Amino acid sequence: MKQENSKNIIKLIRGGDQLVLRKIYDENREAFIKFSRKYNIEKYDAIDIYQDAIIVLYENIANGKISDLNSKVSTYLFAIGKYKIFQMHRDNSKVELTNEFFLEDENVYLDVNLYNEKLTNQQDLLNKYFSQLGNRCKEILKLFYYEGYTLDEIINILNYSDKKVLKSQKSRCMRQLKDWIKKEL
Amino acid sequence: MSKTDLIEKYFSNSLSPKEQLKFNELLHTDEKFKIELDFQKDLQKVIYRNQRNDLKKVLQNFEQHKPVVKLLNISKKWLVAASILLIVGLGYIFLKNDNYSSPDDLFVQNYEPYRNIVLPVARGATSNTIEQSAFVAYENGNYRKAINLFNSVPNKNDQYIQFYKAMCYMSLNKPKDAISLLKIITESDYNLNSGINFKELANWYLALAYLDLGEIERAKKQFSVIASDTDNVYKKEVSGKILKSLN
Repeated sequence: MKQENSKNIIKLIRGGDQLVLRKIYDENREAFIKFSRKYNIEKYDAIDIYQDAIIVLYENIANGKISDLNSKVSTYLFAIGKYKIFQMHRDNSKVELTNEFFLEDENVYLDVNLYNEKLTNQQDLLNKYFSQLGNRCKEILKLFYYEGYTLDEIINILNYSDKKVLKSQKSRCMRQLKDWIKKEL
Repeated sequence: MSKTDLIEKYFSNSLSPKEQLKFNELLHTDEKFKIELDFQKDLQKVIYRNQRNDLKKVLQNFEQHKPVVKLLNISKKWLVAASILLIVGLGYIFLKNDNYSSPDDLFVQNYEPYRNIVLPVARGATSNTIEQSAFVAYENGNYRKAINLFNSVPNKNDQYIQFYKAMCYMSLNKPKDAISLLKIITESDYNLNSGINFKELANWYLALAYLDLGEIERAKKQFSVIASDTDNVYKKEVSGKILKSLN
């Protein structure tokens, strides 16, 4: 992707534009599968890793770690993917690794870990009750905790009259969750 | 600044150094503050998991419906296109009989830049990528601008980009430039991935480009390829007719 275009891409991805995501996905997929083959990764696993790499890319864009795509999208994807491949080999220790792989060496500074940790009891409950929240609550919490928007930005996105209203709405959502969990404990 | 605000700023990565100090202090001294922070961190983690699972499903869906999604989109358009062609074609036959005249006339009668079926431009939508802008320019008949934009897309060597660039050259009355692009496409293998048979389309436009250039023998050869190749469906019949009138 060209430099002048990268801000737009980020904006579109943050805005949830699936066409852009799809395009990025399609554009790099074949090359990534080919790339994985060098590391003895079967196609099926390669696709799984590739999807995780896309998720990592998405999240790092969402939380502002990547605010400008200095490198090409593919550079990020391949660096993340390579990291995941090394991780997988290390975990399975099928292949003797001749050297460790560090993302920093590729000039990519990202959070790359997904799915690893098990949920604690409280997290399990939160998981259960989050899905029972109303859509408005879910939307606010998602935008704030996942998409990385500030409350000031959310005011505009969700059309709130002012920050106070949004803040009290958000705290009502949280109180609801806490009440539900309290009943379980 | 209230404790709630501090936590909010923590999640937005916008604590000032001074606020960060206050934040750290509270973390060690204020049990309630820590519980609240941990609660929100847990919530964040749970939302991350949910969103990841959702996104993973979206991506898996991309994978499962890889060609299908595209083909479905296209087939509808093809149907519309086919019915328009049929109507136009029928009208043409009734009005024109088949008195084809000079190569120039043949070209003018038959040439029409191929529709943009790759990135349909939604009405009122803003164009955000170079590629989108290129197709907007293309649809508006702004072919010079479209060529420049097609030259600056990251995937400028993709077959479909090359094809539409060739369309621009033809529309700008530069058949030679169009021919060099179209020839490469006609000599390539049909690329199933794209869902659209650009090779077939290129065959037709290459024939027209030769016609435009006045290279009648080459044009005839190309039309006969279309008319006789069993794999070639697009413009088969018309090609046969043009061939007849050229002979």
